[in-house]
Amino acid sequence: MSEKPITGEKRAFMTGNEVVAWAALAAGADIMYGYPITPQNEIMHYWTRQIPKYGRKFLQTEDELSAGFTTVGGVLAGLKAFTATAGPGNTLMQEPLSMAEMMRLPVVTVVQQRGGPSTATVIYSQQEVTLTTLGGNGEGMRVVYSPSNHQELFDYTIKSFNTAWKYRFPTFVLGDGYQAKMRESVTLYDPEEKGITFVTPERYVGKPGTPGVDRDPGHYRNTYNTEEELFEVLQQHFADFEKMAPEVIEYSQESVEDADVIIIGHGVVFRGVRDAVKELREEGLKVGYFRPITLRPFPAEQLKALATQGRKLLIAESAQGQLARLVKDAIYGATAEIVPMFRPGVGITTEQIVAKVKEVL
Amino acid sequence: MAKAVKICLAGEGGQGVQSVAEIIAAAANAEGREALYIPNFGVEQRGGVSIAYLQIDDKAIGAPKFDKADILVALSDRAVRRCKQYIDANTVYVYDTSIEGVEEDLPKEGEAKKVLAIPALEISKNELHPRVFNILIMGAVIGATKVIPVEAAKAAIEKKLGYKFEQNPKLRELNFSAIDRGIELME
Repeated sequence: MSEKPITGEKRAFMTGNEVVAWAALAAGADIMYGYPITPQNEIMHYWTRQIPKYGRKFLQTEDELSAGFTTVGGVLAGLKAFTATAGPGNTLMQEPLSMAEMMRLPVVTVVQQRGGPSTATVIYSQQEVTLTTLGGNGEGMRVVYSPSNHQELFDYTIKSFNTAWKYRFPTFVLGDGYQAKMRESVTLYDPEEKGITFVTPERYVGKPGTPGVDRDPGHYRNTYNTEEELFEVLQQHFADFEKMAPEVIEYSQESVEDADVIIIGHGVVFRGVRDAVKELREEGLKVGYFRPITLRPFPAEQLKALATQGRKLLIAESAQGQLARLVKDAIYGATAEIVPMFRPGVGITTEQIVAKVKEVL
Repeated sequence: MAKAVKICLAGEGGQGVQSVAEIIAAAANAEGREALYIPNFGVEQRGGVSIAYLQIDDKAIGAPKFDKADILVALSDRAVRRCKQYIDANTVYVYDTSIEGVEEDLPKEGEAKKVLAIPALEISKNELHPRVFNILIMGAVIGATKVIPVEAAKAAIEKKLGYKFEQNPKLRELNFSAIDRGIELME
């Protein structure tokens, strides 16, 4: 039962949902809780297909509220627990996930964004950025990774378990319907063979010994009696988040030094951004890119340093300005011009980005 | 630097365009190339036009979908109408000769690089077997694009359908003839 799901390196050709299931197996996740919703269903299909061999577990709940709360429960019991959802399911899940924020529970959630609002499309969007980065009531004390290809989907799903358990903030892998359903190559590996050490999960409840005698009592609260009490607790959360931020923030940038236009894109849209920059540079045009990999915490300082006078920041996203909001907040006070390229709920191709850059250059 | 080969396959649900794209993609991957295949999918489970987007390249592939296809195969009247947006002057356009009532919707002179009508449905029905219609189409795609060698395609078919061939070796022969015949159609 303790046999490793992956040994050595294995080049595979599969869907993103399958990649997530393999990554969770490789990361040593103990249990998945979930409720079906397109386009993430196959995560639980592949997970349940593989787990009998490796002694892991799955629980299908009656809805996403319950899936979120059972994931919270799994974590309280000291299990590496995760869930996956999309669209309206993501909306429902924010209630348990804000509880996870309040109680500092390392819940891992994979989101495969679909069109919104409401049922909208089952296909694709980047319209769950605001929801996933900021969550429900509260202050959005969470980590959100935005992968752009299957390799990153594998890498960051593995990483999210360690980030969550190390810093004790809910952690998200924000994919989308395209990444969920498309097939491309990926190299699966055993993380420990790559030198990745897993943070050992720890029980919150049911610890051995007598509370107050052998150990401190476990006192995990999501309810406070006074304003001051809550305020004080939150200050500690903010301080921890701020301390963590430089350690988890990830981004990439290229050809920005002399760029007249810097294209900003995240997730699957970044693929087109990267190719557009390559193509435009070959034509001798001064174009670069900045890509946030963590959307929360956001690489604000790094982007602000690029947002200088006379430059244009072209923001390409499959939403009506959700990434743009993060960008504007990050570069407040900078004088670069923002050029929107908003395509809510539809894909953005390399050709479209190239054409847009030529229009604004 | 060569650009990715962009292939768009469109037909009725059940015509097998998704399997064709998946097999070609898997074959290209097995050859060590980069491939990306994405189906269109929506809330309708049946009765829609099924489209497969496939790209093959020697380097990492960009956006999963594209504006214009290098080769577009349309296998029904609705597919012909639905896929007009993916055609430009560089597109090799392939459609089945049996499709009726689409004269107005086919690319006109100069709108596509080439327009080819192939009797795939008829050949599969009369010479082979209706079941291998999509494999014949796969042959046509490979013949038109040369994205993968025929051996790689056959190996990928073997991998996907090998368990059926075990039970009925004639099926293997039938599939392989279909792919050869599809390639021939493009010569």
